[in-house]
Amino acid sequence: MPSLLLPHADIKAWLDRLGTDGELHAPLRGRDGAVRFDVVQQGVIPDLQALRSLLPPKKYLLPPNDTVLRYTQADGYHLPLQATTRLILLGLHPCDLAAIAYLDRQFFGDQPDPIYAARRQRLTLIGSSCRPDAYCSCHLSPSPLPAACDLFLHQTATGFLLMPETPRGSAICQATADLLRDYEPKPPPSPRDHFGVAMPPPPQTELDPRLPDWQELANHCLGCGACSLACPTCSCFELLEFGGLDGRTAERLLRWDNCLFKGHAEVAGGHSFQKDRAQRFRYRYRHKYRGYGPLQGVPSCVGCGRCRVQCPAGLDLRPLAERLEKGAP
Amino acid sequence: MKRPRLAIAGLSGCSGCQLALLNCEAELSLLLEQVECQFFPLAISPVELTGRYDLALVEGCCTSRHDTFLLRELRKRSSRLIALGTCAAWGGVAAMGNDRPRSRLRRQVYGNQPIPADGVPRPVSTVVTVDATVHGCPPEPAELLALLADLLHDTLPLQRSFPVCCDCRMRENLCLLQERGMLCLGLLTAGGCDARCPSLGVPCEGCRGPVPEANVTEALTIYRQKGFDAPTVLGRLRRFCPEWQYGSGA
Repeated sequence: MPSLLLPHADIKAWLDRLGTDGELHAPLRGRDGAVRFDVVQQGVIPDLQALRSLLPPKKYLLPPNDTVLRYTQADGYHLPLQATTRLILLGLHPCDLAAIAYLDRQFFGDQPDPIYAARRQRLTLIGSSCRPDAYCSCHLSPSPLPAACDLFLHQTATGFLLMPETPRGSAICQATADLLRDYEPKPPPSPRDHFGVAMPPPPQTELDPRLPDWQELANHCLGCGACSLACPTCSCFELLEFGGLDGRTAERLLRWDNCLFKGHAEVAGGHSFQKDRAQRFRYRYRHKYRGYGPLQGVPSCVGCGRCRVQCPAGLDLRPLAERLEKGAP
Repeated sequence: MKRPRLAIAGLSGCSGCQLALLNCEAELSLLLEQVECQFFPLAISPVELTGRYDLALVEGCCTSRHDTFLLRELRKRSSRLIALGTCAAWGGVAAMGNDRPRSRLRRQVYGNQPIPADGVPRPVSTVVTVDATVHGCPPEPAELLALLADLLHDTLPLQRSFPVCCDCRMRENLCLLQERGMLCLGLLTAGGCDARCPSLGVPCEGCRGPVPEANVTEALTIYRQKGFDAPTVLGRLRRFCPEWQYGSGA
């Protein structure tokens, strides 16, 4: 099947049509100049040139503060009702798509998470190509995670090449066929080519706790949490239960956590599995570059660069990864 | 079921923390069904301590002899005592001049007028044992209500260990320090306020006091790069917590 071209001039009409099939969300540039994924109002053109949003699209699957259980004396614990409106996420770059593929593996892996599943099922993912900057690292270290989506948009000089990948993606192309033209040339290379690449798994040897790098990173870390809050694959959370003022109800809240926070590895009695920041950096490194738990061997860094951009101290785990992963046999 | 007995007291302070509770108007009637608010001079008379309390909330720092007497009396009578707000927790604004001689401060304010010789403003925990602390100038209404709900469920409030930056990033705010070059103290300040000020474009003033494990040395380096020298930053921090640990970089 030939690719389909959406000429630049027709993007507005195409977006309006898209919005009839669900609530359209895409990167929007705010008045403060920052880019965030948000609902696209009729007639507004999203910023498809923007390289990275402040928060990654994981916020649609795992909101920062999320009520996961409610308790009443009559009914005990029950799941909160989930919204069922369809959401179309447009303008996801390959790294963000790969990150969603990672979260899918994590939350569907053993016992599917019902809240995640409900949120995931209502998403239509429309990817778009981009040009990596100095903070990106997808082009430097390919990822085995696929940049999977329903429809991918290749930005070219004349317009967007539409490449449907699922029945949902094909349906969008069919419904908007009158705006699209056949396009014969092969799509140009894009950062998407760096994803879904067959890779030997990273070494599974224990990371040396005596490596001076851990302490060096810890010396500069402020423990502000920016790196993991902005990370599209970080999904560590804390669960907090709040009893109601009426004494008869309660709410259980899932809240984003960060492996560099003091409270992250704390357990009852004030004990901690990761007492200092140097230990926590080793743990974080392992999670990002070697894989963790059931996803051991699957690096979870997709190279989006958000952690590097947002760290107030300018910390960067990548040079260490270059040394430890590429230097390793 | 017997309702828990509650005492809410103010020492040297502005009563703002107690007022924050009174401002939770939607919840007050429900609250009064659940607890017996026996001692609360700001809102309820008569003003007399009687019997024992399940919970005492103490606002303000301990300065005068009367403060010390009331605080000790509340501690003796209460199963749990909570330091309410920044003055109770850290000393706050009243204690920001603690590094200067009292005699000079007194002369500056009162001239040669004789006043009763009083003590040095200090956090509640330096006088009595505190079971938990609620931060903020004033604390967040949600935190106050959660604290009272915790009491009803016979537990203590959660002590958080993340800075304001965490709240701020979760709200997807643009960083006022990095992107606007503002002296925002969120990096060093205990979170839990949902980044109330930075979300409105106002830099964090540090009203909730130091976050656990604050990396002051690195923060001062970053502030210096943004054009704020250590005395400026530390002066700001000291407004709410005079006992800041400065780290080696100060």
